[in-house]
Amino acid sequence: MTIDMQMFQQFAQMLPQLGNNAQPPQMSDAERVHAATETFVRKLDSRMAVDLESCIHCGHCASACHFYVPTQNPKYAPVHKLDLLKRVYRRELSPLRWLHRLYTDEITVDDLHEWQELVYDSCTECGRCSMVCPMGINIAAMVNVMRQGMANAGVIPAELMAMEQEQGGHDSLFGVGPEQMKGAIAKLQAAGVDIPLDRDKAEILVTTSVIDLLLFTDGLIATAKIMNHLGLDWTLRSDGYEAANFGLLSGYERVQKLASERIVAAAQACDAKTVIIPECGHAYPSMRWEAANEHGSRLPFEVLAISEFLGREVKAGRLKLNRLGRERKVTFHDPCKLARHSGTIEEPRWVLDALGVDFREVESGKELNWCCGGGAGVFLINSASDLRQNAFKIKMAQVEQTGANSVVTACGSCRLNFLNGAMKSGWDKGIESLVELVAEALPTN
Amino acid sequence: MTLLDFARGPALQWSLIILVAGTLWRLLGALLIRRETDLSQPRSDATVSGGVRTVFSRFVPRKEFHDNAMLAVVLGFVMHIGLAIVVFLFTPHILFFDSVFGVSWPGLPSNLVMAAGVLTVASLVALLVRRWNTPLLKMISSADDYISLLVTLIPVVTGMMAYAHVGGPYQTVLAIHILSVEAMLIWFPFGKLFHAVAWIPSRAQLGATLQRRGVKA
Repeated sequence: MTIDMQMFQQFAQMLPQLGNNAQPPQMSDAERVHAATETFVRKLDSRMAVDLESCIHCGHCASACHFYVPTQNPKYAPVHKLDLLKRVYRRELSPLRWLHRLYTDEITVDDLHEWQELVYDSCTECGRCSMVCPMGINIAAMVNVMRQGMANAGVIPAELMAMEQEQGGHDSLFGVGPEQMKGAIAKLQAAGVDIPLDRDKAEILVTTSVIDLLLFTDGLIATAKIMNHLGLDWTLRSDGYEAANFGLLSGYERVQKLASERIVAAAQACDAKTVIIPECGHAYPSMRWEAANEHGSRLPFEVLAISEFLGREVKAGRLKLNRLGRERKVTFHDPCKLARHSGTIEEPRWVLDALGVDFREVESGKELNWCCGGGAGVFLINSASDLRQNAFKIKMAQVEQTGANSVVTACGSCRLNFLNGAMKSGWDKGIESLVELVAEALPTN
Repeated sequence: MTLLDFARGPALQWSLIILVAGTLWRLLGALLIRRETDLSQPRSDATVSGGVRTVFSRFVPRKEFHDNAMLAVVLGFVMHIGLAIVVFLFTPHILFFDSVFGVSWPGLPSNLVMAAGVLTVASLVALLVRRWNTPLLKMISSADDYISLLVTLIPVVTGMMAYAHVGGPYQTVLAIHILSVEAMLIWFPFGKLFHAVAWIPSRAQLGATLQRRGVKA
């Protein structure tokens, strides 16, 4: 199965205008600096303090970064991206602040503008840098705090601001809100796909994302087919279907909580014991790791990525699949947010094994995989286009080295970035979705 | 009071007080900043073993990173091991530790210790030059990086000068050597030499965090 490339091209052509919808907040320079500083101080915790106290400025993090490696530009060194947070820490929170204040400058609005490119355009919060850091510094977590401070200061790319404002203000993304979602599902139902919508009670709440509703509808159809094939008690709900979280991606904590609480409420409303996250990288950590902390208590349901769910079903013998054949040479791209950030590493491989394809592992894969370059919202940022394309060259080389004809992944953003990168560089590898491959291999009952 | 008496007396006492108090202050100050409980359902509860594993696993980068990291890693190993040999296995140092702390252990022959000293100096100079000459490292460096390298380098050089009886009257060179060590001890809590303490909690917390999520760091 492939996606409609015409639709994808239309979508890609729409992206340059995306930022026009943003409504930047009116703030004075002093207010911006204050907002960023206040956020940094509020979010810095002892883990970050220990990390910031231990950095030896060795620069290894740069060698792991897909934005530094192709450009060799020192400003893209991951540790440098944390500089403003480090300065605020040193002046306001460090045990040695009385000393640091003598020679550490306060952050300025010019600094915020300069760092916008460093924490948005040139960081996907992929976390690969933390895997080489000899001190074990969690750089991605602190880049996220940088984004939160910058977002509160209103210094963020217009594209992410527009998306965050749409999700926070209108409960929609790319114009798709609950009503449009219901319309899209009705269309699929009319085409013969059995998708239970808005059930009052269900064991499993399946979520989707605007990307699946607009572009990768095959992914949504595939998910429905698999759930039905397994005979599961499931539903989609129009009051909690959107797994993409632009609050998290942009750094707006209020919208992040709003978006994840919608899913929590929908799951509670139908008494779901499991929430399934679609092929959407950041949506998984958003619900799996962050939502409970925003909610204020442990969630009363289990959160599974669709790839994780499929792996478990295959491993437990509940999901039997037709073998697609060894003539299909495939490799797997581990989405950073699912693998390195979340430990969903073996499950997709169990599925690929059951599919009987000629699976080839990349070098530096699994938790050390190279990011595709489009994560954490970077795919939508127009000014990041060249950076992204350079980073994607690493990805292409990594895939080509396996000799595979196609690359399978389990994240819509990765897939969009692969499609875009491939389109721009005339790359001929297939780009496939794990859930769609599984649907293709479902035995007929 | 001669310079040597000063170095061996009040300067030593004060530098040790600053070292211990400053290190504890900085370590506890960082550890005691707020830390919220993570309410998400862990994938693994083995966070202690995950933390301990990362404390040890990060001595050597994983093979995927060797191409870019190994030169610095080798220089770092030579410097740290050389320094440890010079500080702890040179017989006059052991006699000094015995006089202050009342414990002693066998040392290495002096010529071997001097060889380690030469390697330590060479690696420190290489690290210094590399930091100055590499655009990436130069950009992420602050005065602290250079001060920390120098306060480590100078005691090794002055120690070797004292041993070789060069650079002036022995008593004076020895006093300068001891004072330079004390400068390092005083700098330790304020600059990045502090990583010699912080590496354990910082590695451990990443290992524990990722283990909780089912990832080996």
